[in-house]
Amino acid sequence: MFSNHFTLSKRLLGLLLLIAGVAGFAAVLAIDVLNPAREGGIGPAQRLALGLCVALALVGLTLIPLGNQPA
Amino acid sequence: MLSPVKRLSETLHPALMLSAILLLLVYLVIYIVFALNLIQFPFDYDQGEGFELVDTILFSRGEFPYQDTNIYPFYSSNYPPLFHVIAAPFVWLFGPAYWYGRLLGALAGIVTACAIGFAVYRAGGRQWGIALLSGLAFLASNTIYHIAPLFRQHLSMVMFETLAVVVLANVNEIQDQRTRRRVLFTGLAFVLAAGYTKQLAIATAVAVFVFLFIRQPRRSIVWGIGFALVGGAIFVWMNLATNGQWWLQSITANVNPFIPDQAVGLFRLWFSLHGFLIVPAALYVLYELYFTRLSIYSIWFVAGIGVSILSGKWGAGDSYFSTSIAALCLLSGLFASRTLRGEWHFPTTNLYGRWLRPFGRVVKPLTGIGMVIIPLLYLGYGRAVLHLPTDAPIFSTIADVLQIEPNALNGFYDSAGRIAGGYADIGHLTTPADIEAGWRIVELVRATDKPVLSEEAAFNLLAGKDVITNPTQILNLAQQGLFDSSALIAMVEAQDFGLIIMRAQFYPIDVLQAIARSYEITETIPMNGFEYLIFTPRAEPLQE
Repeated sequence: MFSNHFTLSKRLLGLLLLIAGVAGFAAVLAIDVLNPAREGGIGPAQRLALGLCVALALVGLTLIPLGNQPA
Repeated sequence: MLSPVKRLSETLHPALMLSAILLLLVYLVIYIVFALNLIQFPFDYDQGEGFELVDTILFSRGEFPYQDTNIYPFYSSNYPPLFHVIAAPFVWLFGPAYWYGRLLGALAGIVTACAIGFAVYRAGGRQWGIALLSGLAFLASNTIYHIAPLFRQHLSMVMFETLAVVVLANVNEIQDQRTRRRVLFTGLAFVLAAGYTKQLAIATAVAVFVFLFIRQPRRSIVWGIGFALVGGAIFVWMNLATNGQWWLQSITANVNPFIPDQAVGLFRLWFSLHGFLIVPAALYVLYELYFTRLSIYSIWFVAGIGVSILSGKWGAGDSYFSTSIAALCLLSGLFASRTLRGEWHFPTTNLYGRWLRPFGRVVKPLTGIGMVIIPLLYLGYGRAVLHLPTDAPIFSTIADVLQIEPNALNGFYDSAGRIAGGYADIGHLTTPADIEAGWRIVELVRATDKPVLSEEAAFNLLAGKDVITNPTQILNLAQQGLFDSSALIAMVEAQDFGLIIMRAQFYPIDVLQAIARSYEITETIPMNGFEYLIFTPRAEPLQE
């Protein structure tokens, strides 16, 4: 990965996006778990962030079948 | 042999392209007329411009504007320094004035448009017509039109951002190491300049390093470390030099409440105005994502949209979409160029290319109509962003012919309407009556021996008095419990100010309450479509 000739493939980019989306989704939900004193449940900004994380993960999933083509 | 559809398209294409170019050139003229009008206006036009001038004056004296707002004159800036540093030599030469900041802003818009046009020309097969349309489309945007010619740093940031991505777009293809390093250095210097012009440039910094990472992770990491060291060193130096005020005023104070409805409204407005170009830009991003390689422009567009979400912050507005507007003008130009060249390729070695194969037979005969569709997109965009003064000479005739009635302040039509919260209520031309009203307020300020508390800096600057407070900044701080209003309220209650001048009443609520107890409105002066409230000390202050 750290060679001068390495470049990300569509598959690897897809995997990274999928991981980022899933991790982001969990992190946004964790805000309420780690800070139970917060009131009002999942707020509008959190819902927006969750939607973006889902979109990111879905884009990642659709890239994985494209294999080794350069991203 | 050409099909009848293609032959007709080729016949119509030149006339339609000429019509689109002429339409967008009219917006260039409106942009220049607006800029020239504002350059001659000696007072604040948009709320807060005067404080940018104050920042510039402070830098021209070698002082930082990041100051403790709890003590007199209760003033601080919340913006990074570069725009004001660039404008500072004008203070040495011409003294405090608004014209040079507005000139710099207007020129930044034009440089950005030229960079967009150049990028489309270079990457889009040297089609000058589309390149011209792409650059003009940027200046035709309602948002860019009314933000650029202000004494504000936003368009300078967008200019540096655009120059950065245009410089770095082909950096990975440069074989010669020295040339590549020089280009990387130049591009990243533009990113750094953008960041130290306004904080929102974080979107472009992310886009640049994601692009470099995708193409070659090693290069991204090595240059990213160097970039972080230089940027971080400047940051730490400024923070030490201002006793921590740089961090407090420019970072902490900017964490404002988020209003989701404002962000949603502004996104709807952004799409309704720029949809004719957003759709092709988005299609181009999808094409690169699934069928070719991702360019820096596509990643920049996505990052620009991402940072636009912050437009929902209190105090933010449609200017937060400027980066995405630059990117969408550039990408839609590349979409148009590719369409006119007929260079859409969906290789069957690609899974999705195979899925699209059955549609190929249907789509191919339709490619000819791209020559008609592309200029029509720009004509549609030109109609969607319609804005013009309705009372000024020549423009009033155009408005009469097109039966356009003003729908905004001071004889101005803006297709954006005035419905989305956070959309800047500006764009109209100033009049001699506005200038006369401004000087009337300056005379009132001069007439008192005491200091004057004004929500706009121009009156105090022109009267030769101290500029006291930056209202929106102390409101930012107050909302987070970081402003101690006791010293300012004590001055208000002691009636230390000869006058108080307000337009938007942006002061923290306890300051406004103290003003209401100790001062009363004795005059209202209309200027620029707004009511300027002149408060003088009450003979008998009201009890709390």
